[in-house]
Amino acid sequence: MSRATILLMLPALLVLTLFGVVLASFASVSLMVLDPGSAVFHGPPTLANYTRLLGSEGAWRAVLTTLRLSAEITVLCVLFGYPLARVLARSHSRSLRRVILFCLVATFLSGGVTRAYAWLIILGNQGLINQGLRAVGLPRAALINNEFAVVVSVLNFVLPFFVLTLFGALRTIPEQLEHAARNLGASRLRSFVSVTLPLSLPGLAAATSLCFALSLGAFLFPQMLGGGRVHVLATAIYDRIQASYDIPSAAALAVLFFLLVLLMLAVVGGLRRLVAVRFAGEAA
Amino acid sequence: MSTPSSSRLEIDGVAKAYGAVKAVESVSLAVEPGEVLALLGPSGCGKTTLLQSIAGFVVPDAGDIRLDGASILVTPPEKRRTAMLFQQYALFPHMSVRDNIGFGLRMARVPKVEAARRIEQALALVRITQLAERRPAQLSGGQRQRVALARAVVTEPRLLLLDEPLGALDQNLREEMQVELRKLQRNLGLTTVMVTHDQREAIVLSDRIAVMKEGRIEQIGTPLDIHDHPRTHYVATFTGVENLLPGRFHGEDVVELAGQRIVGVQASAAKPGAVTLAIRSEAITVLPPGQGDIEGTIGFVQMLGASVRYEVAIATGLTVTVTEVRRDAPPFELGAAVSIRLAASRCSVLAS
Repeated sequence: MSRATILLMLPALLVLTLFGVVLASFASVSLMVLDPGSAVFHGPPTLANYTRLLGSEGAWRAVLTTLRLSAEITVLCVLFGYPLARVLARSHSRSLRRVILFCLVATFLSGGVTRAYAWLIILGNQGLINQGLRAVGLPRAALINNEFAVVVSVLNFVLPFFVLTLFGALRTIPEQLEHAARNLGASRLRSFVSVTLPLSLPGLAAATSLCFALSLGAFLFPQMLGGGRVHVLATAIYDRIQASYDIPSAAALAVLFFLLVLLMLAVVGGLRRLVAVRFAGEAA
Repeated sequence: MSTPSSSRLEIDGVAKAYGAVKAVESVSLAVEPGEVLALLGPSGCGKTTLLQSIAGFVVPDAGDIRLDGASILVTPPEKRRTAMLFQQYALFPHMSVRDNIGFGLRMARVPKVEAARRIEQALALVRITQLAERRPAQLSGGQRQRVALARAVVTEPRLLLLDEPLGALDQNLREEMQVELRKLQRNLGLTTVMVTHDQREAIVLSDRIAVMKEGRIEQIGTPLDIHDHPRTHYVATFTGVENLLPGRFHGEDVVELAGQRIVGVQASAAKPGAVTLAIRSEAITVLPPGQGDIEGTIGFVQMLGASVRYEVAIATGLTVTVTEVRRDAPPFELGAAVSIRLAASRCSVLAS
């Protein structure tokens, strides 16, 4: 390795080392024990936190809720996001493309807390939707402090990531290929199913895994719109620190969470490679 | 491929505008069964829009397109059976060569056994049987071109559409494919419309050429007609006529150039008076002084191997370019006094 290579790698190595140290200290805290009735924790290292967590019904429920909600959000993302990305990639109307892009980027740029409040205003008991319902004489709908509110708000958060990622992938598929399919006798739908969809699978895999990972880690929206009734991993970790100052236990849960995400990424990565080999003709 | 199905194509007053830009302005033409028509012109002349209208990817604002007398204007692209050879081939990258060629047959629900037979036939036709299991990414440009061609003709289309068919190939391969494409088209007897900006390609591949300018047909005729007798300045320039000379038209077939009368020229649309005369460099011969029509001096000599190119300054200070096949006698030297003779039947008086 030349000196220049090493020098160029130095910043990355520093960041990685720092990251590693933080993770390691985190993991070591998860092996400590909390003194009952205080915020002090100490050694010697023990797996007590982990055995407690693995036996705790609440922790498992949080894991399952997190996975289920993330899956729901990802599915919705594909349903709403794919058509949007396709319009963005294929529409000949520049103004339409601009409007969509503007909306997506505006969502990006407005802060999470702002958006969470916006959703509170829309979905709340005295919110826009319920005011509308009351105006036409319908009973109030419970749109907040439940999973529905969490799914809607997290979807709003991850959709731009999904659409822009998929948009990039769709743009690399020449429109001419779709024309060729039509020209050879394929209907619009058939051309999409046999040509566009398979060719977009690598991009779709990238977009869905990003979307899933972001949903797994979402904290703000479940916290603010779940009203304490929707327990996902991120809020469970937070609660452990806020409610009981049990930092070692929170760290243990965080480590488990981390492992879960790694596992998911490994699974998705494997699928992606399969898809790339099967459909793109070459290993991506 | 077993039964060549040749259709007659009629384009009747087709027009298409994109916003304020008129891509095609009222174009009418007919392509006879088995004929190859080339739409020739620079980019932006409307030739591609016209081709896309025939394929169904562009909906014209006005006019009609008929195949064998029946309008196909409202027929969706997938039902038109107008096989298109795309410029970048548009092979499906996720399918093998065999699956690419079989795509149209699968869409038409051709029974498996028959489809397999026809795919083999098409593979053999373009001589790529040994490549059947490859992916497009593993093929060279020429091989991709063959796959695209096989994929287009295997469906027994009513019309073959070629979009700059050889534009993506290098020169040697291009000439080889020109011959092959022409032979294949002849054997299959497919009515063909091709789009190109390369006049040589149009001449080699087509039976008739329509030269397009700004959405209109400027001139339509046989390749030789277009080559030898351009009717307008635009066609002459675009098809590479070297000599555009100021002259005087006296009506009928008489024109005056550098004070000499030349009889027997082609003058379809010109009015008597000052005109431009279009003459290809190879329609002029250089002779010793006194033997030709106009006297002049050799201003430049360029050896091209099989031929030689002269620039001859004629009396009035005009220069004409002459290309001659090299003969046994040594070529004229720079500064030599010569005379030139024009093949009058290959001189065209341009419409002003």
